[in-house]
Amino acid sequence: MATGGQSFYELYRRSSIGLALTDTLDDLISDERINPQLAMKILSNFDQAITEALQKNVKCRLSFKGSLDTYRFCDEVWTFLIKNVTFKMDNGTPPVVADKVKIVSCNAKKPGEGP
Amino acid sequence: MSNQAVGGVYQTIIEEVINSSRVDFEENGVEESVLEELRLGWQQKLSQLDVAQFPWDPKPEPPPPAMPVPPINPAPAQNHPIKAEPSSTPQLPPVAPIHNGMPDQMQIPGGFNGVDNKSGNVAANRASQLIQQQYGNRATGSINAIQDQMGQQISGQPQQVQLPPLVQQGQHMIPQQQGSQHLPAPNGQHHLHNAQTDGAGDAEGEFEAILMRRGITGDLEELGRVDIDGILHEQIAARAKAMEGGGLMLPLKEATKHRAAGGSKSRGPGIGAHDGAEDEEDEDAINSDLDDPEEDRSDDEVDDEGLGHIMLCMYDKVQRVKNKWKCTLKDGVLTVNGKEYVFHKATGEYEW
Repeated sequence: MATGGQSFYELYRRSSIGLALTDTLDDLISDERINPQLAMKILSNFDQAITEALQKNVKCRLSFKGSLDTYRFCDEVWTFLIKNVTFKMDNGTPPVVADKVKIVSCNAKKPGEGP
Repeated sequence: MSNQAVGGVYQTIIEEVINSSRVDFEENGVEESVLEELRLGWQQKLSQLDVAQFPWDPKPEPPPPAMPVPPINPAPAQNHPIKAEPSSTPQLPPVAPIHNGMPDQMQIPGGFNGVDNKSGNVAANRASQLIQQQYGNRATGSINAIQDQMGQQISGQPQQVQLPPLVQQGQHMIPQQQGSQHLPAPNGQHHLHNAQTDGAGDAEGEFEAILMRRGITGDLEELGRVDIDGILHEQIAARAKAMEGGGLMLPLKEATKHRAAGGSKSRGPGIGAHDGAEDEEDEDAINSDLDDPEEDRSDDEVDDEGLGHIMLCMYDKVQRVKNKWKCTLKDGVLTVNGKEYVFHKATGEYEW
């Protein structure tokens, strides 16, 4: 999806903020307040905004350990299913533990190309 | 906790999207009020997900922090341990049921069968309604030619109403229903009439009426064939769906729908029972086929609620030595235990 000549990954649409946006757009479309094309445009604006915001505005570091259950590398996208994960933040807060987490990760080196 | 940063970052993102979409709204001739509505709806939905404390949310404890502006990190920092901890535990239950969601869905057909088999009346009623619709129309057409009154009754009234006059008129038809083979018809008709007889066994009045109607038309053979063709075609189509499309190739929801439709179309206990049996086989097949991928898929499904355990990010490096993996990730959003975190860089080490 081209935005000003550059395209951004759409993967962040699955985050809570992306889902909330998609939901809202769906509502607006079904109420016929906006058309789907405009919604797609907004979503691509979102792709750009969240990518840039994560690059520029976030400083946190994170490390995690666990046991890898499933891995997959397809179309330049890594997918990991990790079980018994422990996430450690860099600011001394207690670690976060989860039974399992799924990681979907796109290639950082080709930001110009969509997934 | 990097959870604090989420509110501010998301606020920035929303502002950015709203601002950059303003032009698009104008180009599309959409009022700006809709844009504002989008922002509000978006923020509201995000707050409902409760993945973090957002600047636009009303503060849980108003006194300490007064400024509802993004750069108030220290202020909500105090709120977070208090608010985040209790709500992170209650967040878990919603996730767990969703994991179960898929198995539940798969059991639905089973439950339906149970209903079908045990209380065939439900299915019979549905079937009769459906047949009433179909034959009501056809009968209206054909019967109108013979008797206007009858046609009106048929299209408008339940079948029992027209039964008495029918019995009077086509009394000689009744034995034929019971021994349906007597009907002058091709072989295919046997199946049909078996089905109908079965139906009559289930809810006699209604199904008799249907047979009677066909009898009443006078030109029994021709209409019979047309009807039979239609019915056979339907049944075959339904079977085909149940066997291939309805079973394996379709999404679970649709498959369930077909099954439901098939169940309601079944014309009596005999057919119904067949359908039931088939369904159970299908179900097993589906279960075994879908069970395996489900393990992975459950993760996909879960984040429908926005609360799945998922990390979305970019990778810089992914390395593996034997079964040990190391990866360097960046610019990610992590949703875990109902809370969301953002990170600039992450390193992961795990063993396969």
